[in-house]
Amino acid sequence: MDRSLKRRLEASLSSQLIAPIRQRHDQTEIRIGPGDVTDVLSTLHDSVDLRFEILADLAGVDTGEHMQVVYHLWSETSPDWLRVIVDGLSRDDPRCPSATFLWTGAEWLEREAYDMFGIIFEGNRDLRRIFMPPDYTSFPLRKDFYLPDDAARSPGEGVRHVERPYAPAVVADDPSAGIRRAPAS
Amino acid sequence: MPTRPARTSSRPKTPRPPEQSRSQDDPRIMLDREVTSDLYEPVPPYPTQTEREAEFYTRGDGEMFLNVGPHHPATHGVLRLVLKLSGEQVVDVDPVLGYLHRGVEKICENSDYYHVIDHVDPLEYVSSLFQEWAAVLAFEQLMDVEVPPRAEYIRVLSGELLRIASHTLFMGFLALDLGGLTPILYSFIERDEIVEMLAALTGARMLFNYFRIGGVNGDLNHEFMSRLGDWMSRAAKQTEANTGLLNQNEIFVRRARGVGVMNREMALRFGVTGGNVRASGIPFDVRRAHPYSVYPQLDFNVPTRTEGDALARYLIRMDEVRESIRIIDQCLDNMPDGPVMAKLPRLLRPHPGRAWGAVEGPRGMLGVYAISDGSDQPFRFRIHDPSFMNLEVVPHLLPGNLLADTMAIVSSLDPIMGGIDK
Repeated sequence: MDRSLKRRLEASLSSQLIAPIRQRHDQTEIRIGPGDVTDVLSTLHDSVDLRFEILADLAGVDTGEHMQVVYHLWSETSPDWLRVIVDGLSRDDPRCPSATFLWTGAEWLEREAYDMFGIIFEGNRDLRRIFMPPDYTSFPLRKDFYLPDDAARSPGEGVRHVERPYAPAVVADDPSAGIRRAPAS
Repeated sequence: MPTRPARTSSRPKTPRPPEQSRSQDDPRIMLDREVTSDLYEPVPPYPTQTEREAEFYTRGDGEMFLNVGPHHPATHGVLRLVLKLSGEQVVDVDPVLGYLHRGVEKICENSDYYHVIDHVDPLEYVSSLFQEWAAVLAFEQLMDVEVPPRAEYIRVLSGELLRIASHTLFMGFLALDLGGLTPILYSFIERDEIVEMLAALTGARMLFNYFRIGGVNGDLNHEFMSRLGDWMSRAAKQTEANTGLLNQNEIFVRRARGVGVMNREMALRFGVTGGNVRASGIPFDVRRAHPYSVYPQLDFNVPTRTEGDALARYLIRMDEVRESIRIIDQCLDNMPDGPVMAKLPRLLRPHPGRAWGAVEGPRGMLGVYAISDGSDQPFRFRIHDPSFMNLEVVPHLLPGNLLADTMAIVSSLDPIMGGIDK
């Protein structure tokens, strides 16, 4: 735990934090709203006493109530990993500013988060699917997307699609199966 | 002479349905008459979705598209690169991923904490211990498990062995992509010895499933130690001999030098890690930048270079092999006694929380972000793969180079498609 990092973060970001800074093991965690992403990331990247220059990871998270975008950053000024949680994105139309203005490499990470969660990153010039085929319509890592054959505690329990070769179309079209459609853009 | 009875089948033959009706009913089979010429016409075969995609698929004067892959011996897996060429020169590249996508994250979120370890194994299949390591590191933080020191040393020992195996294989494949056939034979000899050694330790040659939450599965045994001793007695000399095959090869050096130069700023902006970023002059090695396990107690250097070209990326990895041999020596000297597993319940239900574990694999930083909701399955299991980030640079390194250098550049970044496509 890096106490001095906590002080520095509170000094430079105090108005933008929507929850207290949390520290556990070797990680420091801050929470911000989607409106402050650009400002906060720029401050973390450019501020002389922070200098978080390496984007370690960008992940989408579906909590079941709303969406999150989680950044992990590394800086030589601190022995801790910094976790920035962008909280409170609406599940029906999740939108978040893109981080590509600081890290060009975030482009593919954002494409992956879009592919898996449907989070739309505003400002990313190449936001299309990356793993799934371009005509695919669901977002597989959302919590209301159930694995049809292998999920122990889902409504899909006991349904083994591999044994029913002609059924997948029916499963995919049935709204009760809980598979979400892509929002019309 | 007795007559031989006619051969008869004991089972009555079941009548097969006529071919015609089968293929017509089956929506998965496309009949010949349905395949028309316009199926192949548009590039790409759907309306372009983004600004960048539209720009890429607009063909300028004298330009042509060339598909490399998905099945191409030099793409290290099933990667498809759509190249836009002007003569011999690459103008632009659009990598197409997803041919190996298995949804490992979703599978892990639907299996319990112990099972996650064998689901993440096949991601980086030439160095699978490191992906296991990242996962157990995150889980141990979720559960506040303290790993016995002997287990930590065994983890470092087996990990560094596998790093050498992976780098040796990289050397062979890089040379193979540049047209040299010999080094791959030597690197497989070397890799085979290490893999046999690890098979004696873990029970498997490739997908080890060896690390456990709170330790490792099984202590060091006699066969492993005797094989390791044999190998270590000549490892340094053998490594020099193998690298000498390429370092002094004029064709290889002239083809790799100055090709695919990635400068410092570019490496930072793209989130490149591993040997690729250290070849560009940034000493970012998770073992030193953010120490885990017993690495703070070990003495080793982080080699860096400033050229940032394909040759530098190759030389960095060869330097790392020497450092790994040093680490293995120290592990054997300092190996403590004691248990190799912490005491843990059969069913793991960590308290709700979040954890991020990152380790330095042969290709760069492997990370795992795990969220627990208090149940016996991870609520969210995010895998960060270094090859994914390293491959992202390819569209920015290739333009301006010749088609023949494409494979030198892609291969020098050392991507493994199993990890990229997850």
